[in-house]
Amino acid sequence: MDEQHEARDVYAAVADPTRRKLLRLLAEADELPLHELTVHFEMGRTAVSKHLAILKAADLVRHRKAGRETRYRLNAEPLREIEDGVTFHTAFWNQGSAKLSQLLKEEEE
Amino acid sequence: MKPEVKLDFQFDSPIEKVWLALTDSNMLAKWVMDNDFKPVVGHHFQFRAKPSKVWDGIVDSEVLVVEEPHRLSYTWVTAGVSTVVTWTLHSSNGATHLHLEHTGFESESLSYNGARLGWVKMADQLEVVLAEL
Repeated sequence: MDEQHEARDVYAAVADPTRRKLLRLLAEADELPLHELTVHFEMGRTAVSKHLAILKAADLVRHRKAGRETRYRLNAEPLREIEDGVTFHTAFWNQGSAKLSQLLKEEEE
Repeated sequence: MKPEVKLDFQFDSPIEKVWLALTDSNMLAKWVMDNDFKPVVGHHFQFRAKPSKVWDGIVDSEVLVVEEPHRLSYTWVTAGVSTVVTWTLHSSNGATHLHLEHTGFESESLSYNGARLGWVKMADQLEVVLAEL
């Protein structure tokens, strides 16, 4: 798989709000089984599984068997390939403004 | 509709201080990137970050608007994508409201990896990206 194709898969994977929410949930937790993910959605576990499969295909989510359940965790590395200007600049400027806010606070003290 | 970034921030500092943070090269370096900015219309300058595999780390800019302390605008050209950054400041009760519009992104850059914007690979970048998801 060439580099461009890889990035496309990652982008397609995060283009959906359900999958972004899944990533956020997994980012906040260490590892979660399907049923704990499903409670956060109004769809059933089959639908959530399908979204997880897309995230797995993009290597954004990894899984392992733990006893009878499958546990999912985030693999954030491919997110580095997201190069959509708007998403990235939104994050970039939000981060910048947080630094700016800190700078201004320090000056006030 | 073309995609754009619109963000609002609030700071408990007087407008003059926020304006300084937006227009003083040393201050800008602390929260954006190293630069040779000058608040002079027509001034060409660069923001520079550490280069990475996918991005040379250079943003080419030209100052478009300087209306102290209310409005500042400059071009933002990087990785072959030309955009415009505009800051608008308003003062209220000693606090400052800062509005950002970053415009000019082509729709294609929203789709599959259109623009190779590598972007700053700061240590906490991933966290921020995640917070945005």
